[in-house]
Amino acid sequence: MILQGLKIALESLWANKMRSFLSMLGIVIGVGAVIAIVSVGTGSTQQITARIANLGSNMITIYPRALRGQFGRLSSISSQQKFTLELSEHLEEFCPSVKQVIPLKQVNGRLISDDVNINSAIIGTRAEYTEINNYEIAQGVFINQEDDLERRQVIVLGHQLASDLFDNENPLGNLVRLNYDGRIFQFTVIGVMKEKGGSMAGNLDERAYVPLSVVMDRLTAQKYVDSLLAQAYSSDEANRAVQEIEYFMQKHLEDEKREQFRITSQDEILDTVSSVTNTMNMMLGGIAAISLLVGGIGIMNIMLVSVTERTREIGIRKALGAQNKNILFQFLMESLSLSSLGGVAGIGFGWVATYFLAQYGNWPFIISTISVIIAFSFALFIGIFFGLYPAMKAAKMNPVDALRYE
Amino acid sequence: MSIVIRVEQLKKVYHLGKVKVEALRGISFQVEEGEFVSIMGPSGSGKSTLMHIIGCLDYPSEGKYFLTNHDVTKLDDNQLAIFRNKKIGFVFQQFNLLPRATNLRNVEIPLIYAGMPFRERQRQTLKALQDVGINHRAHHHPNEISGGEKQRVAIARALVNNPSIILADEPTGNLDSKTGLEIMKIFQNLNQKGNTIILVTHEPELAHYAGRIIHLRDGIINREEVLA
Ligand SMILES: Nc1ncnc2c1ncn2[C@@H]1O[C@H](COP(=O)(O)OP(=O)(O)OP(=O)(O)O)[C@@H](O)[C@H]1O
Ligand SMILES: [Mg+2]
Repeated sequence: MILQGLKIALESLWANKMRSFLSMLGIVIGVGAVIAIVSVGTGSTQQITARIANLGSNMITIYPRALRGQFGRLSSISSQQKFTLELSEHLEEFCPSVKQVIPLKQVNGRLISDDVNINSAIIGTRAEYTEINNYEIAQGVFINQEDDLERRQVIVLGHQLASDLFDNENPLGNLVRLNYDGRIFQFTVIGVMKEKGGSMAGNLDERAYVPLSVVMDRLTAQKYVDSLLAQAYSSDEANRAVQEIEYFMQKHLEDEKREQFRITSQDEILDTVSSVTNTMNMMLGGIAAISLLVGGIGIMNIMLVSVTERTREIGIRKALGAQNKNILFQFLMESLSLSSLGGVAGIGFGWVATYFLAQYGNWPFIISTISVIIAFSFALFIGIFFGLYPAMKAAKMNPVDALRYE
Repeated sequence: MSIVIRVEQLKKVYHLGKVKVEALRGISFQVEEGEFVSIMGPSGSGKSTLMHIIGCLDYPSEGKYFLTNHDVTKLDDNQLAIFRNKKIGFVFQQFNLLPRATNLRNVEIPLIYAGMPFRERQRQTLKALQDVGINHRAHHHPNEISGGEKQRVAIARALVNNPSIILADEPTGNLDSKTGLEIMKIFQNLNQKGNTIILVTHEPELAHYAGRIIHLRDGIINREEVLA
């Protein structure tokens, strides 16, 4: 009975090719849209998370709270003053999951070379900075330990900054002057960073890097830093590292309420991003699912027309011994064939759309298997659900009335 | 001789809004196995209504109907469908063939619903087509053949499941008189092979192919005429 029903259904769909195709279209587009949207969402999320991961390896940043706060300035200064080099060393020592900690201290000044001068952020840091940030040098070398110990006035330029200051000239070995706080300092360019692009902290390519000791002792003469950059041994240990740091900071600063410091980790940022993108994906997928529903209504419409049009056929079949369930099955098979054929075509359509969008958006081409399964089963469900009413209508027909129908 | 059909005080009332139409007002008769019965009567006298009830397509409003000693009035929709499938062969005035199926497929339909396996079905279908001399048109579609040929296919379909009775409601109504005669010859031939037949017609000379004529008027039997 199943095979026979399927055969009759396919024959009648084939007899009305154009109409079958049009009524399938809603399902095709619906299934395709669900797959494409969810897949594109997955692909682009991967791209975003890869970018965040690219910002550094298992990086944890510790800031004093309200660093630039206008209210309660006194207290914020006092908490900032606790961010010393000793704190940095203690963290490294007492937190077993932490591989290393480097302090950062930023000043804003004017960099001058020949006739160009540019306002820029100058980061005082140490040799390990590049490792923690996954940041690579393009030309020359980065600051090393000796530069820091001996307070050498050397500078490494961000990609953009280098080309702004020196055009096409090779900057290595050139001198740049820094106007900071009304005083002039001279630096020798020892390196240029690779292009990295924007981040949440602004465009990294427009910054410059100098030894931390130079910023602390020569430029500012302050005993505290802006923030501490810690690196966990591995991503598995990142969470534990965060807890250790928190615990240590609470004890060290005698700050049980954690009012004086703030910790951000990459994991935390990733979690936020993926929860946002997941919500987006669900929402868009839901909207696409509504188009599937509309496609289902299209199928019901066509099936109702088909049932009315074939009233006489139903009468003939009943006169020849078809039971209600035979007729019901025949029409249900028809709507199910429509929706499953539409579903298959929709998978193909979603596949192609995802491929081209991935090419265009430059993210990995990933087909979300779960979206294929869900969209296709939903299409089948819709075929049955919206086919049931017309099929029942057909099955319940009175044979004499159906035969008399013109 | 066993009795194939027995109806007693059969009534059929149609309700059209508040108006009641009494199509049948108490019909009683019997048909024995191997009989050929004609039903005649003016338009609206209830011939088709009677045939539909005998053909298990409709329920009577009142009265009793026994088909091969089964009380049809006690059957539900499904059992009625099974009776139509196994015991009845219906031939209509408008042929009622499925246009998209070949003649072979049309004749096959009752056997499909009977659940007969493919090979046996194929054999029986071809035999039925042969019996009415239309096997050379088996793979054509109904719209590719003449009216007389269509009616032959329809007759083949009616007898393919070896029914207890063949019912024909004005089978020659849409045919010219020459073709009509050919179709009557087929019924006569089938009857001679032992098939029980009830046939509705308007034309007296065709009615005389039967052994007995039942005359209907206003939903009751007006007169019965035994011929042979
Ligand atoms: N479904 C129906 N609803 C209402 N009245 C009906 C219905 N079917 C038949 N009738 C009425 O019942 C009566 C008998 O109709 P029926 O079709 O049996 O006549 P008939 O003898 O077959 O006529 P004809 O020779 O024209 O085919 C007619 O008055 C007809 O109008
Ligand atoms: Mg009639």
